Amino acid sequence: MMAAVFAALLVALAFEFAGYGRIAVACLLLSFGLGTWLFLWEIYSADYGFRMPWLEL
Amino acid sequence: MSGMAQVDMPVAATLDRLLLMAMLIALAAVLTAAMVMQYAFGEIPCPLCLLQRYAMFGCCFGIVMQLRSPDSERGAGVGAIFAVVLLVISVRQTLLDLFPRPGHAYVGSAVFGIHMPVWSVFIAVALLAGFAVRLALFGAPRPSVLSALSPMMSRLTYSLALYVLLICAINFVSVVVQCGVGECHTTGYVLLSSPH
Repeated sequence: MMAAVFAALLVALAFEFAGYGRIAVACLLLSFGLGTWLFLWEIYSADYGFRMPWLEL
Repeated sequence: MSGMAQVDMPVAATLDRLLLMAMLIALAAVLTAAMVMQYAFGEIPCPLCLLQRYAMFGCCFGIVMQLRSPDSERGAGVGAIFAVVLLVISVRQTLLDLFPRPGHAYVGSAVFGIHMPVWSVFIAVALLAGFAVRLALFGAPRPSVLSALSPMMSRLTYSLALYVLLICAINFVSVVVQCGVGECHTTGYVLLSSPH
């Protein structure tokens, strides 16, 4: 999943560099969605998540 | 008065560009330093560390977009969004590592006595301050003035964009080798480890 986040970001940067702004922003949005999903998974996963029990009230 | 404005606007536009370039150079330097620490000193990035790199590359995207499209502030907006993302992730990791617990050491070594997630907090705040300062000082876009900027600045923008693209490609390959297709809860490079 992390590879997909970076792949979408790399494609976005490549399209921006080549001058295809709209496609670049579309790829960046895809990357943003994947990255947000992965970050939330990292926080809330019961098995692997980085929970912070010392801050839960 | 209008003559004074005509004199001032190219100076403001040039300073605006220089500030954006300084932000892009600083981000590229930070990302390069992170890669040096990974490849030269064997510091394997954690998932949240990689997501912070991702957010920094998103900021780079926004700044490059802003540098190359003078008739819109959309690039600065994209950069600011990713600066907020960087701030959220780095604050989360800083709070995560605030409390020592068995089996989880502080991720990475300290740089000038400060750990890397805390540096990320400083970088995110500096980026947000940079975007705010350039809007406060230089204001709205000036397409007719920006289009007349020097070829040297255009070449520098092109070179910086190319360098960011290059280090993003290296990071992508590195992530594939480290994480495979998973979420990257690894302590080494998955594709380089021998099968059991």
